[in-house]
Amino acid sequence: MLKDITLGQYFPGDTPIHRLDPRTKILLVVFYIVALFNASGFLTYGIMAAALITAQALARIRPSALLKGMKPVIMIIVLTAVLNLFYTPGEVIFQFWILKITREGVKTAFFMVLRIMMLISCTFMLTYTTSPISLTDGLETLLSPLKRIGLPVHELAMMMSIALRFIPTLIEETEKIMSAQKARGAQFDTGGIIDKAKAMLPILVPLFISSFRRADELAVAMEARCYHGGQGRTRLRELRYAPGDFAAIGLGVGLVVLVIILSRMGL
Amino acid sequence: MKVEGLTHVYSQGTPFQTTAIKNVSFELYKGQVAAVIGHTGSGKSTLIQHLNALIKPTEGRVLFKGRDINASKENMKAVRADVGLVFQYPEYQLFEETVYRDIAFGPKNQGLSEKEIDERVHRAAGFVGIEQRYLQVSPFELSGGQKRRAAIAGVIAMMPEVLILDEPMAGLDPAGREGIMANLMSYHEATGAALLIVTHSMDDAARYASRMIVMDHGTVALDGPTAEVFSHGEELTKMGLAVPTASLIADRLRQLGVPLEGSIYTLDLLEKEILRLRGGRENA
Repeated sequence: MLKDITLGQYFPGDTPIHRLDPRTKILLVVFYIVALFNASGFLTYGIMAAALITAQALARIRPSALLKGMKPVIMIIVLTAVLNLFYTPGEVIFQFWILKITREGVKTAFFMVLRIMMLISCTFMLTYTTSPISLTDGLETLLSPLKRIGLPVHELAMMMSIALRFIPTLIEETEKIMSAQKARGAQFDTGGIIDKAKAMLPILVPLFISSFRRADELAVAMEARCYHGGQGRTRLRELRYAPGDFAAIGLGVGLVVLVIILSRMGL
Repeated sequence: MKVEGLTHVYSQGTPFQTTAIKNVSFELYKGQVAAVIGHTGSGKSTLIQHLNALIKPTEGRVLFKGRDINASKENMKAVRADVGLVFQYPEYQLFEETVYRDIAFGPKNQGLSEKEIDERVHRAAGFVGIEQRYLQVSPFELSGGQKRRAAIAGVIAMMPEVLILDEPMAGLDPAGREGIMANLMSYHEATGAALLIVTHSMDDAARYASRMIVMDHGTVALDGPTAEVFSHGEELTKMGLAVPTASLIADRLRQLGVPLEGSIYTLDLLEKEILRLRGGRENA
C-alpha cells in the first residue's frame, strides 16, 4: 500500500525528452507554467494541450501514468470546479434554490480544471523523465548565481537529493516496523481517531530513532570520504547543453511568446 | 502447525512480479526445535511472515491447531498471540520509555490484567537474562546485545506456543550468540514451546535444532532430522550452503585415515567420537 506512492518517481528511458539536459527541462517547465497562466481561450489552451501531448508522446510516458499523478489533488480539482461553477457572476443558464450556474462559470470552471491538470502533468513529465540526481544537479547549476547573495545552493541541492534518496528506505523501514508491531498484537485500523493516533506511536518512535541513526551514519560516511561542502567540488557528470537543448529552449520561448500574443488578441 | 501448498507472489500483475515461495508444505509439531536454512533470497523471511498471518498467501493455507489462520479476523488475532514472531534486528522496534513497558506492549495488546502483565514481564525478562534493575531503564540506554534480548522478551512475554525467530543471532559476537540461544532453549524447555529459527549459520542449526528445513529458490529442498539433512552434504554445497565446521573436520580426518563412525555435525559429537577412538586404542 505504501509502495504505491508515485511522487517523484522516475521512469528510465532513452527518448529525446530523457536525453535533454535537466536544466533545459526545468526551464521548459517554468516556461510552460508562465504560458499556461497566460492562456485564456480555446485556441491558447488548445496549443498548451498540444504541446503537453507532444512531449508526453515523445517521452513515451503512458497517459495513465500522468492521470495517476492526479489522484492526490483530486479534491482540489473538484473544489476549484465547484467554486468557479457557482460563484462566477454572469448570464444565468441554470438555477436551483440559491445555486446559480452561469455561462461564464462553466467556462472558467472548465479552464481552471484544465489548467490545474496541465500544471500537474507538466511537472510530472519532469520527474518522470529526469532522474532525481540529475534533477538536483540541474537545479543546483541553475540556482548557482544565487550563491553570490549568500544562498547555500549546493547544500540545499545536497539535502534534496539525500531526502529523495531516503524516501524508499523510509517506506521499507515503516513497513518492517509495522509488521513487527503487528506481530506483537498492535492494531492500526481500529478505534477512534485518538486510538489510531496512539497506535502510531510504536511506529513513529522506532522510525525517528532509526532515521537519526541513519543520518549520523551517513554524515560519518560522507566525512570519511572527505566531503566538505560545495567549495571546489567537481562532478562525475558535467552538465553540457547539446544542440537539442537550444532547440528545445527556443521552442519553449516561442510557445510563451505565441500564447501571450494570442491571448492579448483575445483569442 | 501445518503449512499446505503455500505460494506467495509479490506485486502480482506488475512488471515487478516475483514468486517468493512456491508450493511449500511442512508440519511443525508441538515442542519441536527446527531450523530453517537457506541462502539469501530463498524465501525464508517471506515464509515465516505467513506463519502468523502478517502476509496472506497467494495460494495454499496455514493451519494452526487445525484452523486456517487467514479464515477470519478472530483467527488472525488469535494466531498472533500463539505464534510469536521475532524479526531480524528486533532491537529496532523498541519504542517505550522503559524496558518494562516495552516488554508489556504485547501482553497489553492481548488484553491481560495488570497483574498478569506484570508477572509475564518479569518471567520474560528472566528467560532472556535481563536483570530487574534494567526494567525501569530506557531501552535506548542498553547495549546492542541487551536491546536484542529486551526485544525478544517483548515477544516471549506473549507466551507463544510457537516462537519463530528470523536470524536472532545476526550481528552479535560469539558470546552474545551463545547467550541468546541458551535463553531461547531455556524458554523452550520451560514451556514446551516449539522454536523455529531462521539462520544462515549451519553450526548453530546443527547444534540446537533437532530438525532442519532447507529452503532453496522458494521451495523446500530438504526437510528432516538434522543428522539426515547433513548426510546430503553435496546437495547442500550445491545450494550454496556451507556444511558445519565439525562435519568438515570429520571429513578431513576420515580422509587422513581416522576411522570416525556415524554422522558427525557438531563439535560435541566430534569430541565424543575422537575420545571413543582414543579410549578404544588405549584399551587395546
